[in-house]
Amino acid sequence: MNRRTFVKGGVAAVGAAALPRKARGQTVPKAIRIGYAISLSGPFAPGAQSTSWSQYKLWAKDVNDAGGIALKKFDRKVPVELIEYDDRSQPDEVIRLVERLILQDTVDLVLPPWGTHMNLAVAPVTNKHEYPVLFFTATALRIRELAKRWPYAFFPLAQPDDSAAPLGTMLAGLKSQGKIKGRVAAVHVAEQTGVELHTSFVEACKKNGIEVVYSKSYPLGVSDLSPVLREAMQTQPDGFFAFSYPTDTFMLAEQSQVVGFNPAIYYSAVGTPFPVFKTKLGDKVNGVLLWGGLDHKAPGLAEYRQRHRAMYSRDTESGAVGMYATVQTLQQAVERVGEIDRRKIREEIATGTFPTIFGALKFKDQLLIDPWTVGQWQNGEVVGVYPAQKPNEQPLLFPKPKW
Amino acid sequence: MFLFEVVLNGLVLGGMYGLVALGLNLQYGVARMMNLSYGEFFMGGAFAAFWMVALWKLDPLLGMILSVPVSFVANWVIYRFLLLPLIRRSPDQDALDAEVILVTFGLLFVFQGLAIVNWGGEYRSYSFLAVPVKVLGAEVALNRLLAFLAACVLAGTLFVVLSMTRAGSALRAIAIDPIAARLVGVDVQKLSALAFATGGALAAISGTLVSTFISFSASIGVVYTLKALIVIIMGGVGRMMGCLAAGLLLGLAEALGGYLVDPGLTLAINFALFLIVLLVRPTGLFARG
Repeated sequence: MNRRTFVKGGVAAVGAAALPRKARGQTVPKAIRIGYAISLSGPFAPGAQSTSWSQYKLWAKDVNDAGGIALKKFDRKVPVELIEYDDRSQPDEVIRLVERLILQDTVDLVLPPWGTHMNLAVAPVTNKHEYPVLFFTATALRIRELAKRWPYAFFPLAQPDDSAAPLGTMLAGLKSQGKIKGRVAAVHVAEQTGVELHTSFVEACKKNGIEVVYSKSYPLGVSDLSPVLREAMQTQPDGFFAFSYPTDTFMLAEQSQVVGFNPAIYYSAVGTPFPVFKTKLGDKVNGVLLWGGLDHKAPGLAEYRQRHRAMYSRDTESGAVGMYATVQTLQQAVERVGEIDRRKIREEIATGTFPTIFGALKFKDQLLIDPWTVGQWQNGEVVGVYPAQKPNEQPLLFPKPKW
Repeated sequence: MFLFEVVLNGLVLGGMYGLVALGLNLQYGVARMMNLSYGEFFMGGAFAAFWMVALWKLDPLLGMILSVPVSFVANWVIYRFLLLPLIRRSPDQDALDAEVILVTFGLLFVFQGLAIVNWGGEYRSYSFLAVPVKVLGAEVALNRLLAFLAACVLAGTLFVVLSMTRAGSALRAIAIDPIAARLVGVDVQKLSALAFATGGALAAISGTLVSTFISFSASIGVVYTLKALIVIIMGGVGRMMGCLAAGLLLGLAEALGGYLVDPGLTLAINFALFLIVLLVRPTGLFARG
């Protein structure tokens, strides 16, 4: 024991003797200060706004309307205060800003930025300072390895191989029932998430005896995808799978209609559950498969949707619901611990089960157990289709109605 | 047949590139002002079209009734009150270029920030004329064809105005040498302001038309400013038909490259083409003399 710990221990002992059981000596915090740096401008701004930033704001409003987060230790509710910075879609900027939040602003908790590589840039920083963070918008094959190194980082999203595996089994099932011949076309945006989802999908197909007859990439920010669609169409596939980003997701759906491409299975990734996808396509969304999914009857979801609509006058999307649920998880962990003790909060997230609007969340090795991987537009709303045996999982709508 | 379809789609795509660049070509090539906030007026046009559809269920093209005059006036104001003082105090063209770039770079963030705060940063998209039409036996989307035709008509009109009217001659004189133009009695300030404002109006038109087939957001402006800049440099600064031709060439290269080589390389092919043009003809394909 060095001198400092001795003195500290001594003061604590004296304090404990002089005070009653509740820690009255500590002042009740005026607010729980929660910081984040996120892309409010630059190329990631639209995604960040839709999935993350809007949910932080809504959650903070919901919490404060209810009086705040209950801290058992002080026997009262404490409101939350958000401290935000714009990382301008730059990884170096996001790292600098999160360090500033922790060291200079000394926030109590940190919320994640948006996008896989932004999250992976921040995770070592928050881990070093022992801030538990749920990185909902991160998916990469490396994450399982990285999670071992970063005990304070949690990854609630399905990782690429888990996202692709159910697609392989789905195709194999349809093939064995004689509904399809087992030939698929796959394209992806030339960006890490697109590449990893695509690679995982091709592997899943190989494992299940499905033939990938067309496999191409296209650059991010592409202006015309009709040549790609025409070529894919010529191979007459049973299914078309696009591991895409929002702008190309919208473009693929529109141009498929224009070129008259009507595969029995149509899947696209990021952006497919966005409300704008439905605004654009109307009833034609039905049957489109997507990356993600949700329990569309989860408790609290309907009320959440109403609050979301009241705040933003637009619908939410399944990714945003998941994001909100991870912030709820953090809130519940704080309430169970009863004070801002980040080590204990981390333990609680790692071991507890959290009922949220996205269903019950539980983590193993900091990765969410059994996340939703495949959803589908059915009757004008997004429902969860895979993995099977999830609460309120819906049967696959097959074949997809023509555009 | 398939190859012809690819070529046609490439040309239609190229028309869009040309369309996006026309306005900036007027601002940079004729009024000699490198306006980095150009794309924000493109974004404004796209939003006006979107609100027409989203709020009032009207034809998105009606958005131009609002966005084109607003953009024209806003650009005139920018020229008159922000850029003209710079022109007056700058010792030479190089110093002026640097100052104009800094000012318009700042404006970019102001306009983008205002749009994000007021309209939200999320993706916007709507469906308009997303139907195939047959052109010489090949299929093209009607909304894209519309943008292509607009590009041809606007480039043609600008070409005729610049080369055959008196005001056009004056504008070309300004583009070549503003000081000499003033010496022979051209009202440089007035005409440059007009060219600059018209460029802004064209940005709104191109934003409207492109938004019918490509989704956008409040932060999209800078992407289109850069696209436009590449087309202008390639076609020759101030050359309207050159601008259209460069756009078509880029679109064609992108489509053919995607078809014959790999769609993943379309961006690389475009930039390779740009580099080759810069190496072979640094002043642009259709540059004067």
